[in-house]
Amino acid sequence: MNFKKFFEICEEKGIAESQIVISRRKSTSIRLFKGDIDSFNIADAQTVTACGIVNGKFGSATTQKLTKDTFAYLADQILVAAKFNEKEGEASLFEGSPRYKKGNVYDESLAKTSTEKKIEILHQIEDAIYAADPCVTDADSVSYSESDISDEFYNSHGLKLKQKSNYFYFLAGAVCKKGEEVKTFYDSFIDCDLSKFQVEPFVKKIVDGALKKFGGAPCEAKKYPTVLHHDVISDLVSAFLSSCSAEEVQKHSSFLEGKLGEKIASSKLTIEEKPLTKNIYFSYFDAEGVATKNKVVVKNGVLKTYFHNRETAKKDGVESTGNAAWEGSKIGIGCGNLFVKPGKQSFDEMIAGIEDGVFITETAGLGTGMNASSGDFSCQAEGFRIRNGKIAEPLNLITLSGNLLTMLKDLKAFSNEPILTNNAISIADAYIKKMPIGGM
Amino acid sequence: MISKKTAMMVLNAALATGGDYAEIYCEETNGEGILLENGKIESVGKSQSYGCGIRIFQKNRSVYGYTSDLSLKSLTALATSLAGSFEGERLITVTNIKKQKVKEIGKIEDHLLDVPVEEKAALLRECYEETKAVDPRLVRIINGLTSTERTFHLFTAEGETAKYFVNTEERGRIAMQAIAAGADGKIEVSFSAPGKSDGWHYFKDVLNTKEEARKVGEKAIMFLTADECPSGRYTVVIANGWGGVLFHEACGHSLEATATAKHLSVFSDSIGQQIASPLVTAYDDGTMPYEWGSNNIDSEGNKTQKNLLIKDGICKGFMVDKLNGRRLGMPANGTSRRQSYRFAPTSRMSNTYIAPGKDSPEDIIKDTKLGIYVANFGGGSVEPTTGEFNFSASEAYIIRDGKICEPVKGCTLIGSGKEVLMNIDRVGNDLALGQGNCGSVSGSIPVNVGQPTIRIKEITVGGRGGRLE
Repeated sequence: MNFKKFFEICEEKGIAESQIVISRRKSTSIRLFKGDIDSFNIADAQTVTACGIVNGKFGSATTQKLTKDTFAYLADQILVAAKFNEKEGEASLFEGSPRYKKGNVYDESLAKTSTEKKIEILHQIEDAIYAADPCVTDADSVSYSESDISDEFYNSHGLKLKQKSNYFYFLAGAVCKKGEEVKTFYDSFIDCDLSKFQVEPFVKKIVDGALKKFGGAPCEAKKYPTVLHHDVISDLVSAFLSSCSAEEVQKHSSFLEGKLGEKIASSKLTIEEKPLTKNIYFSYFDAEGVATKNKVVVKNGVLKTYFHNRETAKKDGVESTGNAAWEGSKIGIGCGNLFVKPGKQSFDEMIAGIEDGVFITETAGLGTGMNASSGDFSCQAEGFRIRNGKIAEPLNLITLSGNLLTMLKDLKAFSNEPILTNNAISIADAYIKKMPIGGM
Repeated sequence: MISKKTAMMVLNAALATGGDYAEIYCEETNGEGILLENGKIESVGKSQSYGCGIRIFQKNRSVYGYTSDLSLKSLTALATSLAGSFEGERLITVTNIKKQKVKEIGKIEDHLLDVPVEEKAALLRECYEETKAVDPRLVRIINGLTSTERTFHLFTAEGETAKYFVNTEERGRIAMQAIAAGADGKIEVSFSAPGKSDGWHYFKDVLNTKEEARKVGEKAIMFLTADECPSGRYTVVIANGWGGVLFHEACGHSLEATATAKHLSVFSDSIGQQIASPLVTAYDDGTMPYEWGSNNIDSEGNKTQKNLLIKDGICKGFMVDKLNGRRLGMPANGTSRRQSYRFAPTSRMSNTYIAPGKDSPEDIIKDTKLGIYVANFGGGSVEPTTGEFNFSASEAYIIRDGKICEPVKGCTLIGSGKEVLMNIDRVGNDLALGQGNCGSVSGSIPVNVGQPTIRIKEITVGGRGGRLE
């Protein structure tokens, strides 16, 4: 696309500064069901997101309709949006950071691997799930997805930034039946290097995960010493991080308001954001074109920074932290590639001192069960009882409730085995002093 | 969006390798979102979704692809690439395309996208003022109005003559959120977002926006002093309207052919069997004029229907799309839906509700000695294979001696669909619907959930408040 033409049209229409981001997403997804390819999807679509400044006010528009009139359409919509914008202060577009730490995380070999090879792996997964145990009745959602993403960022200040990435994603589940009892377990594997994926451990985890659930029952409702699986604590820490948004803080809807520099969690909690780590979550510029940087968010329980875009940074008199992200039609705040400092003990050592506790391995309904402003949450959960320092009987249809700040203050330890979870957080299993568990 | 000539060439490219059904779905959706923060316009966003999806079946196998480039070259390349997944001789050559009549179930004259931004913003400001007047502890008030108009052109081919449908859907949703901050640092949130497939007059003159706005403020303030919800197994009375999310999660998803056709649902082989209390009759009805989850036709060109799911506790049917209908040996019944051209369609709910019973809601409360009254919900989820579901209450109260008493917060209800449906022991006469967006394999789609007031004899309640006494 000739982005310069867009800037010309904007200028003609009175848009003082303008910006355009062209995103192209190509993807393939394949799903097997009982030995056959049940669905095969391919896609190639472009989205153009543009914004501009008119009389100091910000306006934006998005389209996927690419015709000769696209640029004029976008410019007209920017004019309308800016005309009605009543936000205080003078908006501007970014002129550029002094230095960008570009990196290449695009894996050429993934794109070159044949579709047949990927289908062959799916067959191996499905066959292995069925062969793993006589209780397996179905291998569900055995699927492979691959995405190829490119983003081009241009603005009228001459800033030009490009980023390209790709990744693949295997998903599979096992349905196991014993009498009338049906149990399921699903897992996924995401990376950009196909050689890292191994069928055997992937399938073993899925089938074992389902089999271990047989006989699960609720426990007595009370507060228990609680160990949270890395996927569970990852979801909770992700919700905590959304409250680190300076926008939420400035708008009085974050429980972290006024807590910068204060001890808000146990000294066992240290969180760093490292967007420049070269993995699938790598990103060297944000939605405003600001260079991203690695930073400490929480150090030994003390809150060190909020996440800022240029607007919130200006309000607080600080520099943008490079955390601008599109939220619908406005520039909001986001974060990614987070690393939570692991502990020193293995999982077994960590739970050895728990006489009567619970190990929560899965939750459901946290999306709606979380009050992000107060940090209160309540959701469905399952897992295992911990008795005399060992994992004991399975627990099913229980609830996990709590408050994020209380939970992080009660954090006793992380194990020494961090995993990079699907919400871009590297985190280990966590031991919380006590949490309310609902059941019988 | 594309000519009949282009459509015919693309359909024939799609059917070249033995496909027995091909479909082209071209879509243009124009959207507008107006967002106010504390009475001031924060953003006016315009968006345009545009593209085309092609789907081909060969018996029970399906392939799907989409692109935002609607040129003949791009679409033919996509169709040829998809057809390459099948091996076989051509079974169908399309020689003719016949336009089909699409009956509008709710005609809209006053299109939301035609209303000036100023007018819509003025309504949102009124809502803001109403909420703000409730209490000075309301520190953040967000008001939004989203308007969408989607037009799709659908070509379906199963024989020489392909069918051609043109359909337009319009929807609007007004969102109100209030955030209250207490002196002790507590923050509470309340939210409401009524929606309709209707024009501007509905939001301006029919919907009582001021009352909605006031209630949102009052509830956020009320939660500041509410106790934590108790945990354990209790009798629970669920209010009408949004309470229907219980049926949506506990049963609705498990009756979608997406789950039942592969025997991956707890209700896979349940037709003719009792799966709920005899007091329960339930429908999925995509034909309700102007309702949030309604459509003239589904994503495969079928007219929407009023589908009976459960009659007096007996399972009577599923929601069936074309592909899963082949697997089940059942006809499609107008329930194939998708978020956009970026998703292949499948069987989904539209307006799903439990039919009204005989009890008055007052009597149901009066006859409950100790329990929990859930007045509103945040949403929920289900695992259809096990039937285990959860949903979180956004507004709940303790019932003591037949009266609604103190409010409680942080309440989650969990259970298995089979158990909870059998445990419904009272059904009220006050059916109402509530609007939400449902996320599943074919994306996020607008749905109505609905029910009259119902009572569940016993269900697991999770909260931080200890035992209910």
